[in-house]
Amino acid sequence: MIVEGTYPLPGKPEAVWDLLMDPDVLAKAMPGTRTLTRTGPDRYEGTMAVGIGPITAAEFDLVITLTDVMRPESYTMLIDSKGRFGFARGAARVVLVAGGDGTALEYRADLQVGGKIAGLGQRLLDSVSRMMIRQGLEALQRELAARLG
Amino acid sequence: MHPINVGVNGIRYERSVEARLLLSDFLRHDLGLTGTRVGCEHGVCGACTVLLDGEPVRSCLMFAVQADGHDLRTVEGLSEDGKLHPLQQAFHETHALQCGFCTPGFLMTLVPFLEEHPEPTETEIREALSGNLCRCTGYANIVRAVQRYAASNPDPGSGSRSTEAA
Amino acid sequence: MTSRYFGAPILRLEDVRLLTGRARFVDDVDLPGMLHVAFLRSDEAHGRLNRVDPSAARARRGVVAVYTAADLGDYWRPGPLLVPPPPIPGMVFNPATQVPLARDKVRHAGEPLAMVVAESRYLAEDALDDIVVDLEPLPAVTGLEAALRPGVPLVHEQFGTNLAAWVRQTKGDYASARARAHAVVARRFHYDRGAAAALENRGVVAQWDARAEELTIWDTTQAPIPIRNGMAELLGLRESQVRVIAPFIGGGFGPKIMMFYPEEVLVPWAAMRLGRPVKWIEDRRENFFATTQERSQIHDAELAVAKDGKILGVKDRFLHDTGAYDPYGLTVPLNSQCTLLGPYVVPHYDSEFTAVFTNQPIVTPVRGAGRQHGVFVMERLLDFAARELGLDRVEIRRRNYIQPDQFPYDNQILFQDFRPLVYDSGDYPAALEKAVALIGYHRFVSEEQPAARKEGRHLGVGVVSYIEGTGVGPYEGARVTVEPSGTVRLATGVGTQGQGHFTTLAQVVADQLGVSVEQVQVSTGDTREFGWGTGTFASRGAVVAGSACHAAATRVREKVLDLASRLLELSPEELVLAGGRVHRRGAPESGVSLGELARKANPLRGAVTPGTEPGLEATAYFGPDRGNAANGVHAMVVEVDPETAAVKIRRYVVVHDCGTVINPLVVEAQIQGGVAHGIGNAFYERLCFDDSGQLLNASFMDYLLPTALDVPTVELDHVVSPSPLNPLGTKGVGEAGAIPTGAAFAQAVEDALGQEVEITEMPMSPCRLFELLERGGSGRP
Repeated sequence: MIVEGTYPLPGKPEAVWDLLMDPDVLAKAMPGTRTLTRTGPDRYEGTMAVGIGPITAAEFDLVITLTDVMRPESYTMLIDSKGRFGFARGAARVVLVAGGDGTALEYRADLQVGGKIAGLGQRLLDSVSRMMIRQGLEALQRELAARLG
Repeated sequence: MHPINVGVNGIRYERSVEARLLLSDFLRHDLGLTGTRVGCEHGVCGACTVLLDGEPVRSCLMFAVQADGHDLRTVEGLSEDGKLHPLQQAFHETHALQCGFCTPGFLMTLVPFLEEHPEPTETEIREALSGNLCRCTGYANIVRAVQRYAASNPDPGSGSRSTEAA
Repeated sequence: MTSRYFGAPILRLEDVRLLTGRARFVDDVDLPGMLHVAFLRSDEAHGRLNRVDPSAARARRGVVAVYTAADLGDYWRPGPLLVPPPPIPGMVFNPATQVPLARDKVRHAGEPLAMVVAESRYLAEDALDDIVVDLEPLPAVTGLEAALRPGVPLVHEQFGTNLAAWVRQTKGDYASARARAHAVVARRFHYDRGAAAALENRGVVAQWDARAEELTIWDTTQAPIPIRNGMAELLGLRESQVRVIAPFIGGGFGPKIMMFYPEEVLVPWAAMRLGRPVKWIEDRRENFFATTQERSQIHDAELAVAKDGKILGVKDRFLHDTGAYDPYGLTVPLNSQCTLLGPYVVPHYDSEFTAVFTNQPIVTPVRGAGRQHGVFVMERLLDFAARELGLDRVEIRRRNYIQPDQFPYDNQILFQDFRPLVYDSGDYPAALEKAVALIGYHRFVSEEQPAARKEGRHLGVGVVSYIEGTGVGPYEGARVTVEPSGTVRLATGVGTQGQGHFTTLAQVVADQLGVSVEQVQVSTGDTREFGWGTGTFASRGAVVAGSACHAAATRVREKVLDLASRLLELSPEELVLAGGRVHRRGAPESGVSLGELARKANPLRGAVTPGTEPGLEATAYFGPDRGNAANGVHAMVVEVDPETAAVKIRRYVVVHDCGTVINPLVVEAQIQGGVAHGIGNAFYERLCFDDSGQLLNASFMDYLLPTALDVPTVELDHVVSPSPLNPLGTKGVGEAGAIPTGAAFAQAVEDALGQEVEITEMPMSPCRLFELLERGGSGRP
């Protein structure tokens, strides 16, 4: 499953970058995240709950590892989430592009989904993930606006 | 655990059940009424159909606690005094069942349908049946069974009618 | 001897129990102290299993035991190879059978990792979440062609390849035929995976009686006797200590003849260890992974024809997906290979298949069992050849049929029962003519179709023919007993999943003994009642078990006549069996009832003549020398909306020949049901696996079974070509309806669209048809 797009965020790339690395801010960018803590220089662990179609609250254990980190331009998030309803794993490439007073966040995620989520929620995966990303980016935007004044 | 009071085929049962106990499991295993079958547990195949206050429902999509205070009718409640309900008799005469697993679900779907539509067309019959899956018969004989039943149990408004009703 | 029942549309004796909900299916078995099982299954299709930690699950209240592969000790072993490879020269076969619980490696999504036994299914499923699994995902092998590329992941490392088998069968010299051909039609065909989807999922209940030292197993199997024998051996018990009961079964269709599934092997073992009855009932989602499936093949086939449409030869190279293991040998691809020849004279044939392992659920026979692939390829090639030669589709078939005076017809290759593929009887031209007349083919093509086209409606007709090999050995048996009450007991080893054995077998016996069919009590599927036999599969029940019932009844009849003639002091020729009595011909009030005779045959005083047996009972067996060949023609009229690609079936005709018919109601219903199954396979059902072996439509919401709105009432006619291979003259019919539907469908839809598209794949969903129309062609290069 591939999702990609661009989203405008307030603030310069460096400021956006630093906030994205903050686990509390990152958690807001992923709707359904219950806990997220940094457990290493480029590593986060946590839990999240997602609803897809007939599955109302699938809980996942989440591990995110950052690679190809090039502050403040780009990085790759390796996502590995697992739960009783299945798994989702893959990579998301994030690129920050300066423009005017703000930063454009370009993303491309290639995720492999398996287990009950894949077997029962297949028709909804695309739309649900798009919705989650949109919600997440909107929340991120609000958070950035608040913190950056 | 929750106390519930349910009427099934005219008998009242008082039981204490977990909130998450499915109505299909309650009927089959708590009450021993195994005529109601479970084919998919996600509400598509219709094998679990029972009547709740006269209306067909998927018992695999309901919890037993939701039936508290209501009256249910299952396939065991169709025949009286050991005699087949005329619809069951029609199924027998037209060879409308093979493995028989889906049959109770079809019967319970058809009983209220035929009360509302005592003289259905073939299209109406097939539409009424479209919520029940059968893998053995290919449906043709089930349609014939309904037509046979309707022909020998015409509209009460138009004359005589069997008293075997909900 | 009367023929009151044989061939008559007798209403079924088993109906009342089923209609009133009183029939017992496996999940209805309820025993005191019964425990419930849930399996933890792999989400990954391919992975290294490093660790399964059940300790937290074991600590959960209500959980009685949790087993992993390590806990099974010596009991852990791969299942038996059910069907050995065929004795074909040059054959390659790499056997790999399923394991009870995964150890070291996971090879398909849904493979069981652990078994939880608890006080309720709800609690057992709760405990699944407590089990910690360290499963390292590996890249999965899914596509048929991808499976053989160099460097691809291996499902079974020990073979060094994903090749499961390679078989080539030839007849004549195809190359020379091709060289002489006026035209060679070549295409690639795809036939995708589907599920049997019986309404009843699988289930096993086991109870060990420690005092009697007896194990009882209720199992949704189509083969109770082999299960009894295998389980006894696995558990170190005598066969007589194990009783397997296949009660009423909610549809078989093939996957329930797969044997020694992990759950079948583990539940009885757990029952013995725990000293309490144990039950496992599969849920629908599990069924999509844990129960076997069928059908994925890719064929590169070509047909060499002469100018007049006569077949010179066929060459076929195909890939077959056996899934993660191959316990059922090569039955499915062999069926494809053999059934391709159909009812036609094919002088030269070169067929080669390669079976591959993939990280997907195991493939074993499902209604049709590979025959539909062969039929699809041949019928489509004939259609394309007809087009190229400017010949009518029906005519090209007519010109190539084996003629009625050519039987027995030897096809010179080996069938799935490892016997030569020899057709016993048939009248293929007669079946074709009847079908053509019933569907009104000529009037349709010359009048109705053009008239509809003028109105902007796209109607099309498809006519296809096929052979179905049925009634294979090894054998079945039956025991007939007349009881003093006058009831006749019939016991046979096959099981019943809706085929009406309780009635059809009773009909066979009732005629021999002159009793009413209601007087015959039939027992099937209980190893304590009858312990010799194979099972219900490959459309063989009526042929093989029916013939055994006939033989046993005939022997009892002889005993009746023998004893009655001595008692009544008449010669056997003067006696008549009718109405449950035996009496002097012309004097029905004389004589004695069968029940009385039975009592006299088992005296408490006096003597039984040496060399005879007490009572009126006989056991007999029937083993056909080889399978027989049923055949038929399907014709359908469809209407296609070229803008939406919606297809409506307007008419469906089947002309079928299954030899002598025991009960026409049962035969017609099998065909109607088979056609429904075929329509599902052709247009609605497809198991969609992604590249990583994940099943994307694991529910009836997305795996579409046809409903009453999708299946027309089939118009039927029969030809009767009795089989010389059994005393009843009968042939099987269980799979016939499902076999040629895809081919008929493809031809009819192409015809409706004026051959704007070529359909070379199955299933053909509305979406896919739409795509083809947009693209203006087929997937052909």
